[in-house]
Amino acid sequence: MTSYHVSIDRVGFHWPGSSETLQEISGEITEGTWLALIGPNGAGKTTLLRLMAGLEIPSLGRIHVGQRALREYSHQQRAGLLALMPQAMRPAFELEVRTVVEMGQLGQLGFWDRIGRPRASHREAVDEALVATDTYALAKRKFTDLSGGEARRVLLAMVLAQQTPILLLDEPIAYLDPGHAKDLLERIERLVREQRKTVIMAYHDLTTVGLYCDQIWALEQGRIRLQGAAAEVLCQPELKALFGLDFLTLTHPTRKRPVLLWS
Amino acid sequence: MTGLDAKHRQVGIYLRTRTTLVFLLLVALLLAAFAIGLVHGSTKMALSTVWHAMLHPAGGISSVIVWQIRFPRLVAAALVGAGLAVSGAVMQALLQNPLADPYVVGASSGAGLGAVVAETFVPGMALVAPAAFLGALAAVFLAWMLARARSRSPMLTLLLAGYALSVLFSAISTYLMLQNQRSLTTIFAWELGGIHGITWSAVGVAACIMAASALMLIPYLKTMNALLLGDDVAHGVGVAVRRSQFVLLLSASLFTAAAVYLSGLIGFVGLVIPHLVRRLSGPEHERVIPFSFLVGATFMVLADTVAERLPPLGTVPIGLITAFIGGPYFLYVLARPGGRRFF
Repeated sequence: MTSYHVSIDRVGFHWPGSSETLQEISGEITEGTWLALIGPNGAGKTTLLRLMAGLEIPSLGRIHVGQRALREYSHQQRAGLLALMPQAMRPAFELEVRTVVEMGQLGQLGFWDRIGRPRASHREAVDEALVATDTYALAKRKFTDLSGGEARRVLLAMVLAQQTPILLLDEPIAYLDPGHAKDLLERIERLVREQRKTVIMAYHDLTTVGLYCDQIWALEQGRIRLQGAAAEVLCQPELKALFGLDFLTLTHPTRKRPVLLWS
Repeated sequence: MTGLDAKHRQVGIYLRTRTTLVFLLLVALLLAAFAIGLVHGSTKMALSTVWHAMLHPAGGISSVIVWQIRFPRLVAAALVGAGLAVSGAVMQALLQNPLADPYVVGASSGAGLGAVVAETFVPGMALVAPAAFLGALAAVFLAWMLARARSRSPMLTLLLAGYALSVLFSAISTYLMLQNQRSLTTIFAWELGGIHGITWSAVGVAACIMAASALMLIPYLKTMNALLLGDDVAHGVGVAVRRSQFVLLLSASLFTAAAVYLSGLIGFVGLVIPHLVRRLSGPEHERVIPFSFLVGATFMVLADTVAERLPPLGTVPIGLITAFIGGPYFLYVLARPGGRRFF
C-alpha cells in the first residue's frame, strides 16, 4: 500500500517580474486529510495550489508526493497522483460534457488508446465519474450551455475521472448559490470520508470552512501565519489582524463545529 | 448502473454507426468530385472514355490527358484542400481561436517572401515553389522561437509575433517586387493561388510531406481536445503542454507549406472548412480532423473543376473561386440559427 503523503519543505517562489512571492512554506498533508488554504486576496493561496499541481516550479525548497519529489514524475505519472479542478473553464468550442469528463482519463491512455477507441476500463471510469456527480444526464449537452452549478459538477466529474488519490480544488464554491455550494461540499466530504482522498483547496468562505475541513493553513503576503486543525486555527485572535476584520467565533448549533462571522 | 450501461451502449453504438456512415458518405462525395473533375476539362470526355483510360494508362491520347494532365491536377487540388483544412483546424485548436487559419502565424508572408526572393535572385529556375515551402516553414519557426521565450501565454505571443513578422515580410516582398518589375506578374499570379503544370513528382513530394505530418498529428487528436480546455487544465490531466503545442504547430505548418508548394496562396479553405465540419460533427478532433481532410479535398477538387471550366470567363484563378463560393456560404452559415446541418 503506497502512501500519498504530501510534504512541502521550505518552498519559495516568485513570479518573474512581480513582487508577489511565496516564502518558507512548509507543511505535511497526510492521506485522507481535507485541507483549506485561506487568507486575504493576493496572499498566495492559488500560487501554492499551482506549485502543488506542478504548474509552476518552486524557486526554492521542494515538494514531495509519496516517495518522490513532484518534479521527478512524468506528466502522465503526475496526472495519476494529483488532479486539479480549475475555478472556471471556458472552452473555445462547444465541447460535449462527456468529452470534457473523458479528458480526466487522458493521462492514463496508452498510444493505441489515443489512436483508436479507448478500452472499456477507461469508458467505465468516465461513466462512474458522471454517475458519482449526478451529471450522467448532462453527458450529451454542450459544456458551454451548462449553468454555474452544473458546470462545477462536471469539472468535479473530470477530476474524479482522473482517479487520483489527491484532489486540488481552486475555490470550488466561488459564485455558487448556497444550495449548489452545500451540495458540492458534501460530495467532496464523501470523497474524503469514504474514499480517503486527500483534498487541498484554496477557499475564501470563513463561515463554512470550519464545517467541513480538517486542517487550515492561513496565508498572508506569501507566508503561512497559522497552521493546524481547523477548530484551533479558527479560534486564533491573529485571524483578525490577518484579514483586518473582527470576527465572532460561534459553534454551529447542530454540527458542533466552528463558524466564523464577521462582526 | 446496468440500465445506464445498456442505454449508454446503445447511444455509443448509434454514435459510432453515425460517424462511420458520415465518413463513408464523405469518401463517396470525394470520389464523385474526382469523377466530375475527370470528365470535365478543356475537352469534355464521356465517363466511359475516362474509365477506359484509367484502366489502360498506355491507351492513346485520352489516356495521356487523364493520366498526365487531369488526374495529377485533381490529386494536387485534393491534397491542397485537405492540407489547408487540416492545418486550419489544428491552428484553431492550438490558438483556441475560431478565426485562426493556416496562414495566421506568418506562413503566407513567409511563403510570399520565399517566392519573391527566388524569382528575383534566381529567376527562371522553377524555384518559386520550393522557396515558398521553406519560407512558410521558416516564418512559423521564427514566430515560435520568439514566443517560446515568454513563459506566460505563449500562444497569444505566437499570434502577435506571427502578425508582426507578416507585416515585415510583406514589406520586404513588396520592396523587392517594386525593384524588380519583371517578376511582378509571376508573383502576383502565384499569390492568387492556382494549380498549374502539376507533375506527378510534385504531387509525390507534397503527399509524402503530408503523410509524415499526418503521422505526427494522429496521436495528438485527443490532446487537441484537452488543449481546448486551456493550458492549465490540459497540464492537470497530464498533457506535456509545450511539447504538444510544438508538435501540433510543426504538423500544421508542414501541411500548410506542402499546400503552398503545390498551389501558392489559396485563402478561405483553411478557415471555412473546419467550421463547416464542426457543425456537422461537433468539435471533437477525432472526427474534425479526418472529416476536414475529406471535405477540404472534395471542396478543392470541385473548385478547381469550376475554375478550369467557368464557361463565360475562361479559366479563373482557383483562389478567386474559393473566395467567391466560400465567402457568401460562410456568411449564410453564420447568419442561420444553430444546428449541425450543412444547409
